[in-house]
Amino acid sequence: MNARARLLVFALGALLLGGAYMAALSQLAPLGRGASAYADILNRVCVRERHITDVVTAVNFDYRGFDTLGEEFIMFTAVMGAVLLLRRGKDEVQAPQEDELTSRRGRRRSDAVALAGVVFTAVLLLFGSYVITHGQLTPGGGFQGGVIASTALWLVYLSGSYKVMRQVGPKPLVEAAEALGAAGYALVGLIGLFQGAAFLQNTLPPGSIGSPFSGGTVPLIDIAVGLEVSGGFVLLLLTFMEEVLEIRLH
Amino acid sequence: MWIIPLTVVLPLLGAAALAVAGSITPRRWGDAVALLMAALCCGFCLYLCRASAGHELTYWFGGWRPRHFPTTGLVPTHLQAIGIAFDVDPIGAALAALGSLLVCAAVLFGWSYFDSVGVQFQVLLLAFLAATCGFCLTGDLFNLFVFFELMSVSAFALCGYKVEEKGPLQGAMNFAVTNTAGAVFILTGIALIYARTGALNMAQVGAQLRANLAVQPRPGALVLAAFALIACGFAVKAAVVPFHFWLADAHAVAPTPICILFSGVMVELGLYGIVRVYWSCFADALTPERQRLRSLLLGAAVLTALLGALMAWLQSHLKRLLAFSTISHMGLMLMGVALLTPRGLAATALYVLGHGAVKGSLFLGAGIVLHRLRGVDVARLHGRGRPLVWTGAVFALGGLALAGLPPFATATGDDQLSHALNQLHLGGLWLVSLIAAAVTGGAVLRSYLRLFWGFGKPSPAAAHQEKEEPETKPGRIPAVMFAPYAGLLLLGIALTFWPGLPEGALHAAQQFTSSASYRTQLLRQSPPLPQPLSTPGPQEPWRGVLSAGLALALATLSVRFSSLRGRDWGRPFHRLHSGHVGDYVSWLVLGVGVFAGLLLWLPH
Repeated sequence: MNARARLLVFALGALLLGGAYMAALSQLAPLGRGASAYADILNRVCVRERHITDVVTAVNFDYRGFDTLGEEFIMFTAVMGAVLLLRRGKDEVQAPQEDELTSRRGRRRSDAVALAGVVFTAVLLLFGSYVITHGQLTPGGGFQGGVIASTALWLVYLSGSYKVMRQVGPKPLVEAAEALGAAGYALVGLIGLFQGAAFLQNTLPPGSIGSPFSGGTVPLIDIAVGLEVSGGFVLLLLTFMEEVLEIRLH
Repeated sequence: MWIIPLTVVLPLLGAAALAVAGSITPRRWGDAVALLMAALCCGFCLYLCRASAGHELTYWFGGWRPRHFPTTGLVPTHLQAIGIAFDVDPIGAALAALGSLLVCAAVLFGWSYFDSVGVQFQVLLLAFLAATCGFCLTGDLFNLFVFFELMSVSAFALCGYKVEEKGPLQGAMNFAVTNTAGAVFILTGIALIYARTGALNMAQVGAQLRANLAVQPRPGALVLAAFALIACGFAVKAAVVPFHFWLADAHAVAPTPICILFSGVMVELGLYGIVRVYWSCFADALTPERQRLRSLLLGAAVLTALLGALMAWLQSHLKRLLAFSTISHMGLMLMGVALLTPRGLAATALYVLGHGAVKGSLFLGAGIVLHRLRGVDVARLHGRGRPLVWTGAVFALGGLALAGLPPFATATGDDQLSHALNQLHLGGLWLVSLIAAAVTGGAVLRSYLRLFWGFGKPSPAAAHQEKEEPETKPGRIPAVMFAPYAGLLLLGIALTFWPGLPEGALHAAQQFTSSASYRTQLLRQSPPLPQPLSTPGPQEPWRGVLSAGLALALATLSVRFSSLRGRDWGRPFHRLHSGHVGDYVSWLVLGVGVFAGLLLWLPH
């Protein structure tokens, strides 16, 4: 098809689809009413039953924890897929060039930037860990905290160099951390199974409401997910940078 | 029932364990772990298939059984599901078993096939396995989508495995873009349904939609549009025309072991998604629209069967040929499903099993040809397959099986399809099945005659054909390659003689389609309603013999008269399948728009 024919086919389809979608939307309950029964129930029983004050976390990691296990593995699989597709081909060599590795495009970073980098790396790691471990109390949790923690290593690259980043986060270690995080979620699920309850059943003591040690298995899952997500994001960065900076055609 | 969660958790744990130990373990370990997990899952699913006959097995993750909440304004007699359930029934379990078995075949065939190091390939294969099992067994609408995504993500990466060439990247991109568009439609549909019913458990959604029927006798635009979006989204995966374009591109570039997973089970899973969501959620709500829905789906099925067969006929690239034949046979499977009767569903279930075995075997044949002759283009390889006598023999049998020759299991499925069509006085549509089976089988047999015997004239355009990158070093055909190749074809015969398979399929389909009984059992935790069981129609071998005979005749004629192969008259159809992902998405949007438009606004 040429561009015009393609646009015509698309426009016709989009018109019909848009019309049908608008007709569907017009039958939704008005804004502010018609809240879902499912959401109502969970809002009502969650804190009492689970001692988790962030209901979103309770839904993600307890009531519908099995969905989130699948989602965690979607991320794991996507990272593994990227690693597979960016692997060194038969006709490529890994030939790092010293100047690319220690400085960025020949420019030296200033000492002030390096110092700021060191400080903020620590701050980011601390903040990331805080968000990961407080998912059952406040908005946040493994996914959000994992992303924050992973940016610490990105900062090492920005304020230092690729070489320093590789030294701080060696690839085998990062790969292992990502996979261990993924496995951790499934292993926490097995706790319930081994106790004769259901898979992912929250059988650990719930603790007192508002304490950092509340929510039973939920903080453990948060830590596993945090490990997986931060490992995954760092691994993605390392893989892409390796492809750009190190791998060359013969 | 602790083995129900293990069908998903074991492969996931295996994938993670391989990734942890990946850099320090040899590749054989990866193969061994993948094979073990796939075999275990296959065993589990076969067991579940037997155990769930007559009444679904329900497993509540996290122990969140449905409870009674007095003041929610829901249907009062029902309990409210707050967790995620797996609802195992024989049809889903059998499909998961087929998927696991094909993963076994893929690992075996790949044993001496890839020469690269690293375990990411096996990790992705295990993620695909877990997603297949989860998708088949889940009883939750959103969980269905999660496993759909997991399956897609692993499949995209596996499709582009051969990174040294340009083609795989292009094919995997087309695959990823179109299927992600489909996923967006599914998610939108689920959101609409959730907004209407406030539930995600499929039984609960179905009960709620049924209760709404008392207020409003016809399904409104919201329900119709939601069904159209979900069905079309799954139809992208199922490669129904006009959503089919990605399939041939993806199959042409994917490694052979991945092709058998794509053709043998992944596209069928798309169809399963439609069937599952229809019968569990929408069947009651859409009863007033059943006739219209049947016509629409049958129209798409006929179009898919015929266009797929025509495109398969026009190919000389073996993998593309087999890919288009998959599209054509998907049309036949959709035809059974489109009848919206238990008999039609049973016919499709039987057909999926037979087709999965036969098509898997044919793809492995193409893989062996690629392995030995360093190419899969029949025009270029004309006559060079003469030394591969046994490979050729199995390939020819596969062609006949694809045409539906008894005693291959494809014939059983075809017989039952014709009975299901007769039941609704649509017997004439069986001609479509005859044409599709004969033309696709004929295309395979023609390739056999040209490739393995050198019949007919070599194609003049053969010289400029691009050389395909070999996937392995040449040499003898290893036993681990030939065993799954011949084994899958034998499975295609064995399924015919499996005692009680047609009866079992029909009873399973009756169980699958009795949505009221399913809901009662799930939400009130009571035993299923007893129902009278039907008996399947008789075997009619003449149908298969006729279509196989036609396939042979077509193959012989087209070898003799090369103009029949359509180098000239087929050009417009080739141009339609342009490889441009913008074209594909435009057709996709048009398809969804037309389907939704006809469902919503076509006057009665």
